[in-house]
This record gives sequence, C-alpha cells and structure tokens, in this order.
Amino acid sequence: MAYIALATGFLLILIGLYGALTHSHILRMIVAFTVANTGVNLVLVGVGYMGGRTAPILDKAVEVSAAAQRIIDPLPQALVLTAIVIGLGVTALMLTYAYRLYVTRGTLDISRYTELKW
Amino acid sequence: MVSALSFIALPLGTAFTLGLLPQGMQRVNYLLTLLALALLSLIAASWLLAFAAGEIATQQIFTAGTTPPFSINLQIGMAEAAGLLLLNLTGLLSVIYLRDTLHQQGARAMAVLLIFIMALSGIVLTRDLFNLFVFIELTTIATGGLILLSHDKRALGAGFKYLVATQIISITLLIGTIFLYHDSGTLNIDGMAAGGLITGESLALFLVLIALILELKPFPANGWALDIYESAHPAFSAILSAAAATAALFAVDRLLLVGSNSWLPLATAVGVVSFVGANLLALVQRNDRRILGYSSIAQMGLLLVVVGQRDILGESYLFIAGGILLAHAIAKAGLFWLSGIIVARDLSDWRALQRNPLYIFAFATFIAMLVGLPPFPGFYAKWDLVHLLAAHDRIALLLALLFASLLEALFLFRWFGYVIKGEANPEGIICARNKLGVIAAATVAAWGVAYLWGEMALQGNLLYSIPLLAALAFLLLEWLAVPYKNVLAISVLLGWFVVNYADYNPLQLIFAVIILVGGPLILLSSFYARGRRIGFYPATMLMFAGMAQLIVAKSSFDFFAAWEILTIGSYYLILRGKASEPHAISYIIFSLGGAFLMLTGFALAAAGDLNFLLSNLSEVAPAVAPWVFLLLAIGFMTKTAAIGVHIWLPGAHAEAESDVSPMLSGILLKAGLFGLMVLMLEMGRQSLYGVDLTHVMLWIGALSALLGNLMAAFQEDAKRLLAYSSIAQLGYALFGLALMNHLGWLLALMFVINHFIYKSMLFLSVGGVAKRTGTRLMYRMGGLITLMPLSFIAVLIGIIAVSGVPPLSGFGGRWIFYNAIMTAEYRLPLIIIFLAGPIAFLYLFRLIHTIFLGQLKDEHRQLREAPFWMILPQMIFVACLMVFALVPGLALKRVDHYLLQYFPEGGLSWDGLTITSHFGYWSPISIMVIVGVIFMTLFAWLLFVNRRAQKVKQFNIVFAAERPFRPETTHFAWNFFAPYRKALGFLTEPLVTRFWDAIGEALHSLAELLRRFYNGNGQTYSVHLLAFVVITFLLARGVS
Amino acid sequence: MIKRFLVLLLVLSMGVMFSQLLVGYSPDRQLNATAHYYATQTASETGAANIVSAIIVTYRGLDTLGEVTVLFLAAAIVGMVLSAKQGGQSPTSASEAERQLPPYPPVGELLATGTQLLVPLILMFGAYVIVNGHLTPGGGFQGGAILASGMLLLLLSDPLRTIGHRLISVVESFSGLAFVLLGILGLLLAGGFLDNKILPLGTFGSLFSAGAIPVIYIFIGLKVGAEFSSMLLNLAKTEER
Repeated sequence: MAYIALATGFLLILIGLYGALTHSHILRMIVAFTVANTGVNLVLVGVGYMGGRTAPILDKAVEVSAAAQRIIDPLPQALVLTAIVIGLGVTALMLTYAYRLYVTRGTLDISRYTELKW
Repeated sequence: MVSALSFIALPLGTAFTLGLLPQGMQRVNYLLTLLALALLSLIAASWLLAFAAGEIATQQIFTAGTTPPFSINLQIGMAEAAGLLLLNLTGLLSVIYLRDTLHQQGARAMAVLLIFIMALSGIVLTRDLFNLFVFIELTTIATGGLILLSHDKRALGAGFKYLVATQIISITLLIGTIFLYHDSGTLNIDGMAAGGLITGESLALFLVLIALILELKPFPANGWALDIYESAHPAFSAILSAAAATAALFAVDRLLLVGSNSWLPLATAVGVVSFVGANLLALVQRNDRRILGYSSIAQMGLLLVVVGQRDILGESYLFIAGGILLAHAIAKAGLFWLSGIIVARDLSDWRALQRNPLYIFAFATFIAMLVGLPPFPGFYAKWDLVHLLAAHDRIALLLALLFASLLEALFLFRWFGYVIKGEANPEGIICARNKLGVIAAATVAAWGVAYLWGEMALQGNLLYSIPLLAALAFLLLEWLAVPYKNVLAISVLLGWFVVNYADYNPLQLIFAVIILVGGPLILLSSFYARGRRIGFYPATMLMFAGMAQLIVAKSSFDFFAAWEILTIGSYYLILRGKASEPHAISYIIFSLGGAFLMLTGFALAAAGDLNFLLSNLSEVAPAVAPWVFLLLAIGFMTKTAAIGVHIWLPGAHAEAESDVSPMLSGILLKAGLFGLMVLMLEMGRQSLYGVDLTHVMLWIGALSALLGNLMAAFQEDAKRLLAYSSIAQLGYALFGLALMNHLGWLLALMFVINHFIYKSMLFLSVGGVAKRTGTRLMYRMGGLITLMPLSFIAVLIGIIAVSGVPPLSGFGGRWIFYNAIMTAEYRLPLIIIFLAGPIAFLYLFRLIHTIFLGQLKDEHRQLREAPFWMILPQMIFVACLMVFALVPGLALKRVDHYLLQYFPEGGLSWDGLTITSHFGYWSPISIMVIVGVIFMTLFAWLLFVNRRAQKVKQFNIVFAAERPFRPETTHFAWNFFAPYRKALGFLTEPLVTRFWDAIGEALHSLAELLRRFYNGNGQTYSVHLLAFVVITFLLARGVS
Repeated sequence: MIKRFLVLLLVLSMGVMFSQLLVGYSPDRQLNATAHYYATQTASETGAANIVSAIIVTYRGLDTLGEVTVLFLAAAIVGMVLSAKQGGQSPTSASEAERQLPPYPPVGELLATGTQLLVPLILMFGAYVIVNGHLTPGGGFQGGAILASGMLLLLLSDPLRTIGHRLISVVESFSGLAFVLLGILGLLLAGGFLDNKILPLGTFGSLFSAGAIPVIYIFIGLKVGAEFSSMLLNLAKTEER
C-alpha cells in the first residue's frame, strides 16, 4: 500500500515538474505545480502509513492503552495539513501574480517576461 | 531576559493588530510597526549583551509544555542573538527608509513586512526541521508580496520567476524532510544529529541540504534572485541581501550538524563556485542593483565556504563567519539604501554622490568593508580564514578564494573610480531625510563593528593605532582651508618622527627620515593649492600612516595591515589625478594581488599561528620556506614595480597631481624595498627546485633597469619618462639587494636615499613646468631656461645625480655599485645592468634639452617661474643632494655598521671624508673640486668661443612648401631617439602590458559569455535549478 | 525540442533519485519514539481524543501559527495586488465604479433558492466541524474551509453582494491576535508557548475538554474562514465582463 502511494506521489511530482518546465503558459505552470504539490502531499501521508492500523483518533474503538499498537503515525498527518495549507497560499499568490501580469502586459506566456536578464 | 518567543509573538501580534485598526490610520499603523521592530531590536540587543558578558549560556525554549522532539523548540545563543539583532535592525531601518511607500501601500504591506522579519527570526531560532520549512515558506510568500513595493513594472515578472523557483525548492525540501523523519523518527535537528541514524549517505539529507543551499541563491542556479535584486525596491533588496541571506545561512549551518559533518565538502564546493562565478559575472555588469545582487551571491558563497570549513576553523569559526557576514550585511544594505536615492541605474550615475563628501564617505566605507580592507571586520576574518586554511594545507581553496576576492575588488574599485571621477549630474540624487538617516546609521554601524572586531581580534585593534587615527581625524578637519591642513599635516608627520626617533634602528631610521621628514618636504609644495582640496589630506595621511606603521611592524599582521592601509591611501591619491581612473584601478588591482600573495606567504609561514612575528620568518620550516620567500617577494615587487608587474606605475605616476607624483615615486615605492629588505634579512637565500631565488631577483633587477631605461628613452611625456626611470632605478636597488652582500645592500640603501631626493625633485620641477605650460609633452616645450631658471637648475642637478656622473651623490651610488658587482660572481646580469647605464643618459639628456634648451615656443613667451611653494622644496632638495654628495657618510656610515651584523664581510672603511673599499677609494670632496674646475674651464671656453655667435630666432627658418602631416612631427624633439628605437625598439614592445590586457580581456569575455546563460526566462531558471540539484548530486555521489 | 529533451532528462534523473528513496524505504512495523509518545501521552497530556488535532494545535502549535500566518499573508498580498490594480484610486471608490457597470445576468432560480437553503446549513456544519476538532476528524482548517465555501455560494448567487469587507478583516485580525495571545497565555500560565493546559482538560472525549484546543480551533476556524472569504472576495472583483 505504502509503496503504491509513494510511487504515485513521486510520479505526480515528476509529471508536475515536467509540465511546469515545458509549458510556457503561466496558468498551465500553476496547474502543473498543483499536481506536483498533490504528489508531495501524497508522499507525506504515504510515508506515515502502516499496514493494518487505524486512524489516530482515540475513542471506544481504540482505547488509550492499546493506541500504540493500533494507530498509524499521526505526525505525517499533521504535517500534511500544514503542507496543504501552505501550498494553497502559494497557489493563491501565483494566481494573483498571473492575474496582475495579464492585466499589465496582456500575455500569460512566461517566455515573454524576459526583460530582466544577463 | 524577555523570552525569545517574543521574536515571533510580538511581530505577529502587531501584524494582526494592524488589521484591526480602522482604515486611514496609516500614521498609527506605521508607528506601531516601527515600535514593534524597535522593541525587537532592543530585546535582541539585550540578549546579545547578556551573552557577550557571559551572564547566560545558550538557552532552549520549549513550546507546548513538552520537551523536544515531541514539540517544537527554539534555541538562542550568542550567534543567534547577533543574527536576530541584525535581522530586526535591518527591518527597522528599512521601515524607516520605506516610510513613504508604506504609507502609500497601507497596513497590509506593513503587516507583510513584519511577518517577513518574524519568519526570518524564526528560521534563526527554530531547531525543528518542519518548523524551519514553515518559516521558509513564510519568507517566500512574504517576498512575493514585498517585491510589489517596487515601482518598477518589471518586478512583477521577476516575482513570478521567484515563485516558480521556490516551488521547486520547497518540493525538494518537503520530500527530504519527510524521509529524514522516517529514517530518524524525529523532526528535531539536534535529535537527528545526535541519533546517528542519519548517515552522510542519506539521500534525504542531501535533498534537504541542497534545498537550503538553494535558498542562498548559489551561482549559477540564481537567475531569479538576480532579477529580484535588480527590480525590487532597494529597501527590500537590502533586507533580502542582508537579512534573508543571513537567516538562510543559519539554516544551512544548523542542518550540516546532521550526518556528522559529512556534507561540509559539498557546502565548500558550492560556496567556492558561487564566490568565483558571481564575482566573475559581476565584472561585466553596469546596473548598480544587479551588481549588488551578484556581490550578495558571491558573499554568500564565501560564507558557505566558511561554513563548509568550520571543522578546521575551531574557535575562530564564529569570529570569521560573523565578521564576513556582518561586513556583507551592513555594506550591502548600505549600498542598496544608497541606490535608492540615486535616480538612474548605471554605475556612473552614482557620480551624483559627489554632491556631498559625506555621501562619498559612506560609499567608500561600504566599498572598503565589502572588499575586506582594514579596519573592517572582513579584514580580520579573512586574515584568520586564510591562516587556518593554509595551516591545514587547503591551498587550492585558499588561492581560489583570493582570486575571486581580487575579481570582487576589481569591479568594486572600478565602480568607486567611476563615482569619484567625471561630471556629476546634479539632478541625479533625491535626498529624503529619513533615507539619509538610515544610510548614516549604516555607516555608523560599519565603523562600530570595525571597532568591535578589532576588540575581539587576537592581533589587537587597528583602530587604536595612532597614525591611523590621525589620518582619520583629517576626515573631520575637511572643512579647513588647505594652508591650515597642510601645516597640521606637516607637523603631525614631523611630530611622529621626533617622538619615535629613539626607537628606530638605523635601517628603519633611513626609511623613517624619507617618510616622515621627506614627506613634509614634499608637502611644502602643497601650499600652492587653493580651497579645501577635499579628500587629499585624509588620503595622504592614510598613506603616511601605513608607511609609518609598516617600518615598525613586529608581527606579520601589523605589517600586512599597514601595507593595506598605505595601499588604500595611495590608491585614492592616484585616483585624484585628471585622467587617472584606469591607472588607479590597475594600481589597486596589482597592489591587492600582490597583497594577497603576501597574505598567502605569511599564512604559509605562520602554520596556524594567527599572530606570527616577522622575526620568526627565519625559522620557517624548510619545506615551505622557499614558497614563502617567493610569494612575499612577488608581493613586494608589485610595489617596487619590478618588470612584469610594473604596468600600473607609468600611468599612475604620470597622471597624478604635481605634488602627488613625487610622493608616489619618492616615498611609496620604498615600501616594497623595505619589505624586501626585511624578508631577505630574515630568510636569506632560498632555492626552489634548485634555482636560487635571489639569483632570479638579480635578473629581474637587471632587466627592470635595462628595460625601464629603454622605455624611458622613448617617452614623449616628461612625467612618464620619469616614471619609467623610477622602474629602472628600483631595478638597480633590487639588483643590489639580490647581490646579498654587504656592498650590494649599501648600494640599495644609497639608491633608496638618492632616488627619493632626485626623483622627488625632478617630479616637482617637471610638475611645475607642466603646470605652467599646460602640457607634459616635451616636444611642446623648449627654451624655458630663461623663463624658469630655478626649475632648470633643479632639473640639471637632478639629472647629474641620476646619471651617476661626478660630482654628485649619484656617482657615489655608482662607485659603491661597481664595487659591489665586482664582488659578485654573476656575469650576465652584470653586463645587462652595465648596458642600462648609458641609456639613462639618453633620456636624461632629452629631458633637459627638450624642455629647457632650444627654441622657446611662441605661446610660452609669457610664462613665469613655477610657483614659489613648488620651487622651495626643489631648492631644499638641491641643497640635500649637495650635502649628501659631499658627506655620504652622514647617513651611510651608520647603516654600514648596522649591516655588518648581517654581512660581516666587505664593509667599507670610513676614514675622515674618504671612503675606502677593496678596490679603491672615493673622496667626495676632491671629486667635487676636480669636477668643478673642469666644468668651469669648459664653460669659460664655451663662452669665449660663442661670443660672436648669431642668435637664431624661431621663425628664422625657411620651410619648404610642404605641409606636415602631423604638426608635432616637424619638431626636432619628437621621436627624438628614432634610430635607437629602430635598433632596440623590440625590447620595449609592450609584451607585459599585452599579457595582462589579454588576461583581463579573457576574463571579461568569459563573463560576457556566461551571462548569456541567464536568458531571463523563468522556466530556464527553473531548469538551471533542477540541473543544479541533479549535477550536484551526481558529483557528490561520484566523489564519495 | 532540445529543451524538452533536457527537461525530460532532468525529470528522469529526479525520478532516479526518488526511486532510490523508494527502494530505501521500508514501512515501520512499530511506531517510532515520537509517534509512540503521541499515541500514549496525548490523552493524558492534552486531553484530546484526536491525536492529530493535539499535534496540530499543541505539540506543533508553532507550525500551525505559521500556517495561519501563511494564509493571512496570502490574503493580505492578494488584497494588496488587486487593490493596486486601480492605481492611485482607493479601493472604495473603485468598488463604486464597479457598481455602475451593467449588472450581471440574473442567477438561476435553482442557485438562488439553493443558496438560501444551504448557506445556513453549511455555516452550521462548519461550526460543528470546528468545535469537534479535538474529538473527531476535522478542526479549524477543515471547518474554516467549509465556512468559506458558504461564502463562495453566496458570491455565486449574487456576485455584487458586498459582504462586509471590514467585518471580515476584523474577524481575520482579531482571531489571529487571539491565537497569539492564547499562545502567550500558555507561556505565562502553563508550560510554554501554546500550551493548552491554561484551561482545565475536562473529561476525556467530551465537547468541553482538551483545555484550550477547542478555543484555539475556533479562532483558527474563524481566521481560516475569514482568510478564504477575503481571498474569494478579492478574486471575485477581478472578474471581467
């Protein structure tokens, strides 16, 4: 299970990177990065997965005393939440930039924004 | 102590509060922001003070009532406290600087700025890997927002490129982080380091590390960062360069703890590539902010090297890293802030700073700080770094660092040259009081840390050196008029001489007299100047301070510091000349290059001893001793302008002001000779691979003498002629030293004295003539003997002395010289140096003949004698020459005795007024009398023969009906020695000049080629970034 | 073409690196020390049944504070960027100018009615998710996002609705400030910054338990909801007609 999740996650990252580096349309780049971020999140969760265990919530099903044997690692789950939120913040920022770029220059082709170089 | 958590809670709380205030209360918002940052700076300062006083030890701050690794913890120690102070102060000053922009943009922008500073503080404090990631992301997003403070439309594109790049970085960082957690079971960095579960092989560790290194924007994966530096608001660039880079450096330093230092070589390698590459590319930049960006990247590279070498730096690690970091941060922030008040973006637009000397002072402070000149922290830090590297045999790394430092000095000093020279655009600068205040604060901070680092340095504080302080005091006296300052300068120099007179040994005394008594003599001529002559006195006094310290230096550190100080002073003096900018830059580059070789030599000799005494040079291990000798000798010979490294001299001396040229030629060049003497006295003969190095120096001396004279003969410019003649004269002195016997040394000292007197005098007279005629080209002069008789006398006496014919002191020099070479066993260099003698007659004859004899030019009929203040020292020099010619024993006798302890063989015997050697005797008085009689007889006969000669007026010549192609070609003095040129011209081919030009050209072409790499496309930059990761990985794997 | 090939090569090299990670990975059989601590100690230390919530709000509360700040930053910058669009004009006059543009075509009956019906329910659900965050899956972030989706629905049904910008910004800032202050209270009254034991831990598994976790979660929920709403509002204004 964990291997499948990790492999899928890595694949998504690679697809995302390839997309972001080959498409020169800014919106496509942003979408590609979102794909890559999803991959990263998948890897984060996948690493914490342990076969045959349950979610780290203590209730009648999982008693406190048995928790250490019953639940999966809760930390990656907490991390992934943070990672998702941060990814969202960055995506929002990139979209805003895309909007402003379009308004000021009328194009979303990243290869047109090369006035700063060398 | 206020809890270190306040660095996070306080700015956050303030940022959120700003949103609560109703709109339109910009003033309150602004004050709140200011207050928060001021408070934070105070808290950081109080922590730093407590650590410095040793009151507290490094502290852990736990959160959530649990210990790590289960909760996040922060750690604050001395380094962190200093980092926090730097971050928050930079933030505070930037907020003051940004007052208008922030008022315009409103509370949101202030909140973003506060959070940016908070996040940077978080990076410095946190010990948790994932928490580090969160803070890094916060800085990323805040950067995305703050880029928009810029008025530059291009900033938007740059910001997007930045966001794309950081996406890739954060993906790498996150993947690495989660696998590190999986492998070690903890997110706590110290836990990972202590647990030992993470080895150096760990790929996850590599990913995290490379991501953090990428945050430092290493060359060449940094196109996005450069675009931001160029287009963002300068105040933001200041934060980015000074504060954000600092925080990232803390992160890298911390993470390298994991995996037991196994990635230190990676940090070093990336660092050195960055330092060399960024400095190289900066050579071809013209945009001020972009060049500052390159320089930031270079400095980060240097710091990465320091971090990577921390295993050998030991206790000095923080001192070195802190020194370089603070120097970088303060200087870079200061320069970015300065760029904000300059209207246009080309480097030469900074000329607008000329409007106020204080701006220039701030600018010079920042540039000196970046280059790492004394007394700034970078100087101490580089000294220690180089010594420790040398002590651990990391010579290749050391040389790469010094090479890159030289490149850095090249573009920074070239920039400085542009700013000092040329016409300023009065509209080129916009001053707002808040911005000036911030820049002033940075300048004060620069000198503050200079003092602080001096206090901490093992070698003692340079700022306590009285000569240096005296020179700096002249900065405060700039408002005085020239006569007052001149009197003051002369009395300071003489006073220092009198105070120290008793402490000098005879060798030092000769140099002390030249510097501290000869200097004031030349300074007499400065009375002619009018106005305030801003910049002249601090520079002159700096040069003299360096010289005065040099001759009494006991340790290699003092010697080197003095050397650097005199170099800075003289550089600025040279730069003051009219068309001197290219020559000043070549002077400073050769000087610094030589200084770096010296530094390497000293470091090799010291073998880790940071405070190495010069007297221990004699005890250097035999394996390195010849190398030490070689490096130091080359270093000194750049100053004496030995052939091969002489190309800076002619232009520098020719273009300098009339009273500066004699100082440069007569006094400054002697610093190199003094160094050589100290070196050769301590180390004696050294051979490398079977070659006797003193023999090589003999050859260099002989060639310098021959080629210097030859080149002098073909000059049209009188001052250049004298300059080339200086090269030759110092060649003689070098030759004498290299003979390594008693008479050789006496000869060298004789030359030291003689050369000072007659070259200063000649430069003064020629300077006076040039001042009156408005040209230095000899074929434009002629017949000035009647109009400027005193100058004529000075030149006449001067050339008699130079040529070494009786009766003047030059003959004494020759006499010792011939005695000296008779005792030496080398024949071929001997012949060469013999050949050089007659050539000197050629140019000396030309000097007096073309300028003073022949036809008077029509436009010169109204000329008067040179100004009184220029004639006065010349006449004193004439008197000195006469006295020295009659009683050379006055100075030489004591030195002769002094030399006996080093060269017991072959001393002279001083018998009354007659001097006897193995080969014969020399009686100055009788020679003077005999020559006097012969001269008078011939002169009387000439007058008698010519009593009926017809005077030919200038236009009493019948021209053929031919129009000359170039008017000057009709003058008899133009290309006077054409036949000799035909015969010997091949020897004066500017091969050396061409060689150095080719090197410069190659470097610039390379930089021009490499910069194409940054094609401006955000996607390409990301490809670079990814390629950087992959290639670094492959290399790292390949090596290990 | 060459560039594509190069990118492919680089991505594949990255793939090789990732595959090395994958090969070196083996799932844990036992919880590692950190996770084991959380599994056994969370209940007694924080009183929260949802261990992930305990980690987010308490153990790694500093991360969460940063996370909330990320949203705050993003919202602030989106606001900055989009308000800068109008150049020198102030945002209020700009929205007035927008008012004078031709109105949107009327929204469909289904959407209008659905909105009226659903928004209160959505808001209530959001509140439920937030306050139960320490017991069940959910919490401030999830609940806040649900709250904001209610806002999205409102915007869809009436794009010109002005939902008190000011109010949102006050909620945003106030809850952020409250979060920081609660953290400081932890520093002053309990074991450290963001320690949840400033309030009694209560009965394990009940609504009023886990000390300050629910309180903090409420502020987080409010803040996240406000942040998202403000971003949505700002982005809505950019729509061109």
